Amino acid sequence: MSENVVEIQDLWHWYLRGTPLQTVALQGAELEIQSDDLAAIMGHTGSGKSSLIQHLNGILRPHRGTVRVFGNDLADPKLDVRPLRRMVGLVFQQPEMQLFDPTVGDDVAFGPRQLGGTPEEVRRRVRTAMERVGLSFEGFKDRYTFGLSGGEMRRVALAGVLALEPRLLVLDEPTAGLDPRGRRQLLESLRTIHAEGEMAVVIVSHDMDVVAELARRVWVLAGGRTVMRGSVREIFARVEELRELGLGIPQVSELAYELRRAGRDVRADVLTADELAEALWTNSTSPAA
Amino acid sequence: MDEFDFARSVTVGQYVPGTSVLHRLDPRAKLAAFVIVLAAIITSDSYIGNVVGLSAALGLVALAGIPVGYVLSGVRPIVPILVVFTVFNFLFLGNYDPTGSAVLWRQQVALGPYEFNFTVTESSMKQTVQGVVRIIALIVLTSTLTLTTTITGLAKGIETLLAPFRRVKVPGHEAAMVIAIAYRFVPTVADELERLMKAQASRGADFGRPGRLRFVKRARQMIPITVPLFVGAFRRAERLIMAMESRCYIGGKGRTPITLPALGRRDWTAIASAAVFTLAVWNVPWPL
Repeated sequence: MSENVVEIQDLWHWYLRGTPLQTVALQGAELEIQSDDLAAIMGHTGSGKSSLIQHLNGILRPHRGTVRVFGNDLADPKLDVRPLRRMVGLVFQQPEMQLFDPTVGDDVAFGPRQLGGTPEEVRRRVRTAMERVGLSFEGFKDRYTFGLSGGEMRRVALAGVLALEPRLLVLDEPTAGLDPRGRRQLLESLRTIHAEGEMAVVIVSHDMDVVAELARRVWVLAGGRTVMRGSVREIFARVEELRELGLGIPQVSELAYELRRAGRDVRADVLTADELAEALWTNSTSPAA
Repeated sequence: MDEFDFARSVTVGQYVPGTSVLHRLDPRAKLAAFVIVLAAIITSDSYIGNVVGLSAALGLVALAGIPVGYVLSGVRPIVPILVVFTVFNFLFLGNYDPTGSAVLWRQQVALGPYEFNFTVTESSMKQTVQGVVRIIALIVLTSTLTLTTTITGLAKGIETLLAPFRRVKVPGHEAAMVIAIAYRFVPTVADELERLMKAQASRGADFGRPGRLRFVKRARQMIPITVPLFVGAFRRAERLIMAMESRCYIGGKGRTPITLPALGRRDWTAIASAAVFTLAVWNVPWPL
């Protein structure tokens, strides 16, 4: 049974509140995440995506509205957010910039050590986390952190968060700046992590192909508000609305959309190349059928 | 509540866009006028003169249309230093008073094998109080200057004011460039610091208070922040060098601005008012 682990209603947040440079980041955002969710938050640059997810582990606190995460009310100033930060693993944009320890194993171990487990427990967590992101524990634990490639560094940073063994994993633009191979590996890791069934996964992205490939449910933000929500198929079928928001759609959906406009009878909710081929084949009115 | 909103307390290096008279002054004139007012504030040698200086600085903040509270929030970080400085000055400065002014209070305190003399004289009292007022006025005045001036404007102003010293080999352009770059990166580094603290807090780092005196623990907590902060700063510096070199930057030699507008009436008025103010503060026989 899945239950809501995150419930956000009418969330408002201002940056530099109380100074002449005050700007509003969120104005009435909403979000719900279930305990086995695989969701994506999409939106244009400046739509409030990053601000929204920073509320999930108490990095930001709501200025107005309600944020409940695993039953904790974030609006309560007396709430101790430290236990929450262990349950919600937040991976920031370009997380490879946050690495600091010269050896990979020690960097990944930073979080577990803060939790204060035994050396064996720390070792187990580091091993599991590294293997989950496709880095072999024996092969990488003593490598020099700053000598790794960009894609490897990103996976190390991801392992650093996974080592906390959170129940909700949130990633901000996880594939930005990766080459196609690094991107594919990362998405594969995320899919495996979700399939293990221990944590809900939420990604923030404006790369529609990544969203289409990975997510099941989608939330769309614009101007600090939640403007669309639904299954990934429902969302990408609403091509005009997405375009109006300045968002693209996956390349395959775009092709299907243009074919439909050109008069071909193609269903609206295709996401992958195989689906499009099948849709074209079964609905084809050409003599070849 | 806003645990990581650092930029809020960093007023140094920020620019608040606006259309006030102060915003519209030519940066060269503005800088000159501020230097003149600054001279009045740091040399005035009476209680009233210093209070007048501080009021003038606050008046300029109001003129710029910037909330006074925002400017004063830039003073907050130095309050602890200011308190220590004031207490020590108050207790000990009188011991070294060369003017021989009247002694107001004297006390000898024995602490184990040590003996301390606390002396407050009329002149040391004055210097202590003036010290505090001057520092606050100075911060308010300089923040007002930087809050209303873009970095490029400021750099141009500094360059112009230093130009006469070129004969004695003062590298005016280079100095202006260094100051401009340093200023430019204060908010950037503050942003980066904020991002890193958030990221490490998300990995279980605890930046809570381990107690004010546990320096080692505090320093240890900062390692996950300082290492990537410096790595990032060096990377950024390298990129900046590359960008400057690829634009054939060779320093100030032979460089001239495309446009050099003459100072207008408003600019001369500002300089003149600053001069009048300073002469007045110097020459009025303040009763205190």
